Amino acid sequence: MRTSEFDPVLLAVLSSGFEGIVREMSDTLLRAGRSSVINMARDFSCSILTAQNEVLALAEGIPVHVTGSGLLGEAMSRLHDDIRPGDAFLHNDPYNGNSHAADHSILVPVFVDGEHLFTAVTKAHQADAGNASPTTYAPAARDVYEEGALIFPCVRVQRDGADVDDVIRMCRARIRVPDQWYGDYLGMVGSARIAERRIQRLAERYGAAALKEFVGAWLDYSERRMAQAIRTLPAFDIAASATHDPFVGTAPEGLELSARLRVFPEDARVVVDLTENPDNLPNGLNLTEATASSAALTGVLASLAQEVPVNSGTFRRVEVRLREGCVAGIPRFPASCSVATTNVADRIIAMIQRAFAAAEDGFGASEGGLGQPPAKGVISGTDQRTGKRFVNQLLVGAQGGPATAFVDGWPTYHRPVADALLYHDSVEIDEQRYPIVIRERRLLPRTGGHGRRCGGQATRVTIEPRFGPLTITYAVEGRLNPPRGVRGGRDAQAAGAQLFAESGQELEIPQVAVVEIEMGQRLVSTSTGGAGYGSPLEREVDLVASDVIEGRLSEEMAVEIYGVSISRGVVDHGATSLRRAQASETR
Amino acid sequence: MSQTFAEGRDTYERESSGRFRISVDTGGTFTDVVISDERGEMSVGKAFTTYGRIFDGFIEAVGRAAATWRADAAHLLRNADSIIYATTHATNAVVTGKTARTGLITTKGFEDTLFYREGGRIGAFNARAAYPGPYVPRRLTFGAAERISAEGEVLEQLRDDELDRLRREIGEAGVEAVGVALLWSISNPIHEARIAEMLRDAFPDLPYSLSHEVNPIIREYRRASSVAIDASLKPLMKQHFEGLARDLEAAGFTGQCLVVTSEGGVQDLDSVASKPLLAVNSGPSMAPLAGASFAPTAQDVVVCDIGGTTFDVSLVEGGRLRHTRELWLGEPFIGELGGLASVAVKSVGSGGGSIARIDPGGLITVGPDSAGSTPGPAAYGKGGEEATVTDAAVVLGYLDPAAVADSFTLCLDKAEAVVAAKVGQPLDKTPEGASTAILKVAATRSAAAARQAVLEQGVDPRGSTVVACGGAGPLLGCFIADELEAHRVVIPSNAGVLAAYGAHNADILTEFNSPLAMSSAKPDLDRLQDALADITSRCAEFAGRFDTTIENVRVEYFVEARYPSQGWEIRVALGERFGASAPDIACAAARFHSEHEKRNGAADTGSEVEFVSWGARVSIRRHERTPRTGSGADGADVSPPRMAVASFDGVARQTPRYHGANLAPGWSTDGPAIIDESTTTVVVPPGWRAARRTDGSYVVDRTGREGNHEDV
Repeated sequence: MRTSEFDPVLLAVLSSGFEGIVREMSDTLLRAGRSSVINMARDFSCSILTAQNEVLALAEGIPVHVTGSGLLGEAMSRLHDDIRPGDAFLHNDPYNGNSHAADHSILVPVFVDGEHLFTAVTKAHQADAGNASPTTYAPAARDVYEEGALIFPCVRVQRDGADVDDVIRMCRARIRVPDQWYGDYLGMVGSARIAERRIQRLAERYGAAALKEFVGAWLDYSERRMAQAIRTLPAFDIAASATHDPFVGTAPEGLELSARLRVFPEDARVVVDLTENPDNLPNGLNLTEATASSAALTGVLASLAQEVPVNSGTFRRVEVRLREGCVAGIPRFPASCSVATTNVADRIIAMIQRAFAAAEDGFGASEGGLGQPPAKGVISGTDQRTGKRFVNQLLVGAQGGPATAFVDGWPTYHRPVADALLYHDSVEIDEQRYPIVIRERRLLPRTGGHGRRCGGQATRVTIEPRFGPLTITYAVEGRLNPPRGVRGGRDAQAAGAQLFAESGQELEIPQVAVVEIEMGQRLVSTSTGGAGYGSPLEREVDLVASDVIEGRLSEEMAVEIYGVSISRGVVDHGATSLRRAQASETR
Repeated sequence: MSQTFAEGRDTYERESSGRFRISVDTGGTFTDVVISDERGEMSVGKAFTTYGRIFDGFIEAVGRAAATWRADAAHLLRNADSIIYATTHATNAVVTGKTARTGLITTKGFEDTLFYREGGRIGAFNARAAYPGPYVPRRLTFGAAERISAEGEVLEQLRDDELDRLRREIGEAGVEAVGVALLWSISNPIHEARIAEMLRDAFPDLPYSLSHEVNPIIREYRRASSVAIDASLKPLMKQHFEGLARDLEAAGFTGQCLVVTSEGGVQDLDSVASKPLLAVNSGPSMAPLAGASFAPTAQDVVVCDIGGTTFDVSLVEGGRLRHTRELWLGEPFIGELGGLASVAVKSVGSGGGSIARIDPGGLITVGPDSAGSTPGPAAYGKGGEEATVTDAAVVLGYLDPAAVADSFTLCLDKAEAVVAAKVGQPLDKTPEGASTAILKVAATRSAAAARQAVLEQGVDPRGSTVVACGGAGPLLGCFIADELEAHRVVIPSNAGVLAAYGAHNADILTEFNSPLAMSSAKPDLDRLQDALADITSRCAEFAGRFDTTIENVRVEYFVEARYPSQGWEIRVALGERFGASAPDIACAAARFHSEHEKRNGAADTGSEVEFVSWGARVSIRRHERTPRTGSGADGADVSPPRMAVASFDGVARQTPRYHGANLAPGWSTDGPAIIDESTTTVVVPPGWRAARRTDGSYVVDRTGREGNHEDV
């Protein structure tokens, strides 16, 4: 095989150098971040762009951030002709390349010998963005005005390394938890400045010319790896579809979504076409250019049988077709994109993974758990113990993950846009931090879809106020359209939110809501399981037996669904073979 | 040097040389011992670890070291004051699942705590990564209807009928040990205590562990994991330690037996037997301490312990080790978590056996997979067909096929062939060129891991001192230091038995902590006063158990703290004097701000600080025993080095090879030079200068100039 002309040793050394830099950016922000969205949900990304605003290096982070930063850099280049060392920009404009208004991005241009060679980008979801309601997820907002976030279309927030106080004051005046926001801001700027110093050090050591050449060589290398991965795929052309549960602003039967997926192994090319989706909706579900393309790329990358570097070189092999004014495309002002990083993006990723699996066993995955049940909602109120206001995201229960051809779904999966990279809260930390008592957090047996590989189980969490009323904002999805199984795997079980009075009587609450919980009431949050992959009759008997022994499956279901006869933990192998043979015939 | 290792003195003098101290490190393959006497004689011995009965390998290794005193092992044991024992037994049992059948009692509704862990994974998009089961299976986990609040109030009583039910279920489950981890037992242990009482009554011989005792920290998963692991080890480790004690007693040993813990010190055998969690992860805790002792004046020491498959890196700052509660056994996030504040050591898959490949895109990679010891590198001639770091070192002339002793020889032809085939040909390079590339990438990768580990602690490795140990450390040390921009590399004299050497002089220590949360803006000084008094008296009680004087006891306070709403605490040292006063609180907050600034690059000095847990580490210094010399040479018998070709930066040069055994303290040379030691090879590249010190270690400094060395 021919390799590029660039010195292969320097290629390895410099790629490892940039990888180390983005990891350091990321570690720093994780430790320094104030809001749980950053330090628990890891809802942030750190990356380095080239002078041409291509993504060169990206720290491991949640998938929805995969491609976004290139568009941010383009906005910076377009809007500013006086960029100089010491600058930093704050950008959260959804119509100018950002993911959604709640993600604040910090861009620090990196100069080497007076030349702007790279840009360090740190993007993080904020606990509060000054929205109309105390949540950064406003699916019901009719437009960006009703959503209410402060929008910063790539404004200069530092000059000569010092804050532009005007901008800081604007944020502090409007964001509900100004100190927490400022702490996060410091962490983000710190993270980007670290990259600036480290890149300059790398340039001193190896020379600016070598870094410039490296950029091209590394992106070419990544493209080659991606091309090789695509050549192992089957050729196919599949129209995938899914239905998002009805929300405010959708049709009563929900939102029909689709993706046409074409794989051309010979050309080593994948085309994802999202243009057939409906026009922008009068709610917060609309995707942005960044999240629509990230969702498409994530779906493809998650379905490959091998890992590839993730950068703009890799992306050259995937063509994502988007349409302006489309719910899963490029938003037309003033459409709200408040939940652009989650709901529709989740559905797109899940349907692409499922399409790959449908094309050939060994690729893709079933659909994983979706939505934001109360245990992952935004909690707010006043803590009677301290008299202080709080707004933060809970992450106390996860969804069940999708099954792949090889493994059962993870119980710590969060949603397709986040995979299982998120941490979850300690119950004790949450009770120390918020005036609540968590009565249970348990796995729900039989909630993951059955299959040769089973979906991850769902989690139920019960929350009570401890000293006085508080508010939880959430948006259950996948209740009417639960995650779907693939290749004979079963669908997952639905999620939900329930409120109970002290008497035990269930009170009516919507599934997408801002709910005030009174003393004595209990809010029960049930997440969604993941769906199954392959026929349950193909699941190894030992695994079925262990599911029964560990209480994940009843003996009745073992027989009915899996064809495994088991009594008091002992498998009847004769009866099992017979039953499985019969079931296969009737299939 | 006037006095050296052994020769020339009579037996009587040796026997009168006083009480012996013996430290032993039983590793997976070898048992290492270090023995010293009161006059500063020191000797080392090595034998294969004997799994059936640890004592057999131990006594064999002692016997080898005993030759220094012309005595036998029995004599040394009879005349020993103390034996310090480091064992991987507990760690191995946890990793391989060979522990007791253990039950776990949790608060009802939270039986899946161990299953969930804390979330997170490495690498999205991995379709083959399986989620592991819980440390204690769900069928052996029992929920107790009870509830304590964050503030310690009883929200739901643990009723008698609930205790009866637990008693019945535990009895039926047939478990060999029980862990108890209830929510908020750290705020109010009453329910854990009641369950303990029930267990003692109903099952007098059943070992149990309580979470508020084993590891009183906030976060239910960490406490549950600590207590489950601790309980699961109790039957096994009790038997193990009792067996060892019996064997030692039978051999006539009457001294004190100390055991190495993950906290970076030692404790008496009974304490560790009653809390075996202390022995988990104790393996890597000694090398940092020992390594740094060879660079006592350096501020920042990066200890690089490189073996065949693993690279362990740790930071020692001003002689102080760093600690972490996040040392996973197995893969981070999905392995098992001991949860004690353990010596912070980062492990990556990189070593002499790391495999070099050209990936499908044309990129050269080295590791993390390794050829291990079988078949091992191709140069071992045991059927290895992958190109490894060791093979590259053979091709470059760093490892000399002729110089390696007894057990096996290195085969240059095989190394050259495999490097050419696997790396040279795809890259269009000669075997030498390919080998240079392999070492460069291996050093870059190791340095990247080291840099990350050190930066996490807020220290920039530039200008630090690298201590290189382990079989492959001295080979790669200067190359890694180059990448880190460190200017000095120290190769310890006992590089091959460093853990046992560290254990030899380690402090007796432990720590106590009290999870008392408060804000710097509104501190509760009364409760803090009580907590500190309790911690201090427990430290005093601990110290009182050992025969020592007050000057040797040190109590150092610390606090784990965060900014409001941060997810993770950092540990801040508070010094040896700390009280519950407003100025002390202000001082603690100031220390937190500066530590946060150091580690995370920013401080928010206007913000209040949330203190989460207060504690103290009590340590008892033992009389230090260091070798008067580690070198067998006195400078009188210096044979000239052999000249051989070695390649540096693509240039083949005539390079002197020295026998370490012939090099006296004070000896020095400019690179390039290579020194063959019995268990390792020191490579001194051009631009570095090596010198031997009186303790037998080497210090290698960057000079930046090409060597114009004279052959000695």
